[in-house]
Amino acid sequence: MLGNALIAFAGFAALCLAMEKHFSDLLGRKPRPGQLKALQVAGWLLLVLSLVLSVHLRGWAYGLVEWAAVIMAGVTLWVFVLPYQPRLLLKLAAVSVLMGPLLALFAV
Amino acid sequence: MKEGFRQAMAWLHTWTGLLFGWLLFAIFLTGTLTYFKDEITHWTQPEIRSHAVEPARALDMAQRYLQANAAQSSTWFIRMPSDREAALSVGYRDPNGGRRGFVSKTLDTQTGQPVEARDSRGGEFFYRFHFQLQMPHPFGRWLSTFCALIMLLGLVTGIITHKKIFKEFFTFRPGKGQRSWLDGHNAIGVLVLPFHLMISYSSLVLFMYLVMPAGITAHYGNDTEKYFNDLFGGDETPAAAQVAAPLTPLPALYAKVQALQPGTRVGNIRVENPGDSNARVTLSQSAADHVAYRRSANWTFDGASGALLGQGKPESGAMMTAFSFAGLHMGNFAGPWLRWLYFFFGLAGTAVIGTGLVMWLGKRQLKHAKSSHLPMELRLVEVLNIASMSGLLLAVASFFWANRLLPATLEGRGDWEVNVFFISWGLSLVHAVLRSGRRAWAEQLALGALAFALLPLLNALTTERGLGNSLQTGDWTMAGFDLTALASGVFLAWLASKMLRTPKVAAKRTPRAARNAATEPAEAS
Repeated sequence: MLGNALIAFAGFAALCLAMEKHFSDLLGRKPRPGQLKALQVAGWLLLVLSLVLSVHLRGWAYGLVEWAAVIMAGVTLWVFVLPYQPRLLLKLAAVSVLMGPLLALFAV
Repeated sequence: MKEGFRQAMAWLHTWTGLLFGWLLFAIFLTGTLTYFKDEITHWTQPEIRSHAVEPARALDMAQRYLQANAAQSSTWFIRMPSDREAALSVGYRDPNGGRRGFVSKTLDTQTGQPVEARDSRGGEFFYRFHFQLQMPHPFGRWLSTFCALIMLLGLVTGIITHKKIFKEFFTFRPGKGQRSWLDGHNAIGVLVLPFHLMISYSSLVLFMYLVMPAGITAHYGNDTEKYFNDLFGGDETPAAAQVAAPLTPLPALYAKVQALQPGTRVGNIRVENPGDSNARVTLSQSAADHVAYRRSANWTFDGASGALLGQGKPESGAMMTAFSFAGLHMGNFAGPWLRWLYFFFGLAGTAVIGTGLVMWLGKRQLKHAKSSHLPMELRLVEVLNIASMSGLLLAVASFFWANRLLPATLEGRGDWEVNVFFISWGLSLVHAVLRSGRRAWAEQLALGALAFALLPLLNALTTERGLGNSLQTGDWTMAGFDLTALASGVFLAWLASKMLRTPKVAAKRTPRAARNAATEPAEAS
């Protein structure tokens, strides 16, 4: 469940950065052409990956419920901590991209 | 004058939200506490210890106790201990004893003897309150279900009103007065929307037989019990044959259920006509076993021969849909992590309602910032806001204080805990009337902070199961309650300090707010 939570968290971070306003606010520069699109695709892929893993590991009933719970928790954490600790959240998102799949892999 | 669809929806959102917000706040907060119903009960009855026990052994103990003490009773009930529930509860009908001819006891799972626990409703009180509102049946259920309908309406109208639902999906700008409240209200509403929609829609599903009974009464008249029996496969119990026959050992029936469906956890057991040749034993599967709340998952045995007589009916698609909504609402299946998430989403729902109420008043207060007195109607809203939010928190804290301080021998002790809850709530209303708005908020929040933060100390002083003990013995339910109370105290202290520190938000935010107002006009809410 933690692995899926981290993947979903990273997914929302990518979707947030895929918006030009947030990209320049958070990273302090303008996005290169195509970068926003890539972030958007990556974000959706991460969310779908966490859903697939969740259902695969826990079955339809528990998988869907737990997935819904961890994505809501992840995005709420992201939005409400962002104004206070943007750097910390960016680091956490980077760690999540690596640790999420790793944890999910070991849970198989 | 023709107004737009969105304006009409905004109007509906604003006014239904105000009228029902106070009650909805209480329903959501107590409902959120209900996710930890068993854990709260564990704290309010510290005399009941939890021990690991084999289900078969627990059943044997319950049967022995009931055989010795309730052999003549017509019906026995047994509720098994679980990961969350320490108690092995037994109950039986006794025309001469107990409340409404029903006796219930809690057995220690090590000795099999009854535990003399203090009389307390515990988590059951908050659970009952959140859908019965301490009103006579069925009015509380009707009112709370209507509130659920209003919540669902509020969510849908809120989505329609919210112009930039995707553009501002990730937006929260703190420290900007009304702007921040609206951001916060929108963000908690949108980000946790699946939970909010699920919880309000499922409330309607849970009570659909109550709010839309026409289909049932058309077929069954007033015999609704027959409807539920037909639906869930409950059998009509034959009358006692008045022929004595020893009851088959319950652990053997438990073993049969395990053989039929390995790994099943059994929740409740009901024995009709024990000791009679027409005895019937029904074992129900624990609600923790499935996401869906399957009311028909049970096995009925002949109590004399031990033969399996029937299993719950297989569920139709419609039934499974309804059971799934019920199960999602109650979250019985949730393990510790998911339970905590449920708890936080419940708090999020409470916060959406609370921020909405604060904003309704805040917007209108701005127009009267210059005058020393608020108009009557705004003052009324202010008082009700304070009493319904910080007042309710004080009432919850008082309930727990009463639980530890009322003498164990007090007649009707459990009722008195509830009385203390409502008396404190009433007093907070009086306090809100007497003090000015900001002071009332600050004082009640500060008192609430103290009341919650000192609960662990109170627990340590009045029982032997304070934090020192619970952390050492690994009693995470006890420790979890104490630590959550402490965290709630810290959170309320933070809120109170915000109320005390900044007397006027406007003065502090002028430069940035002015710049903001120029670039983005505040939207209607």
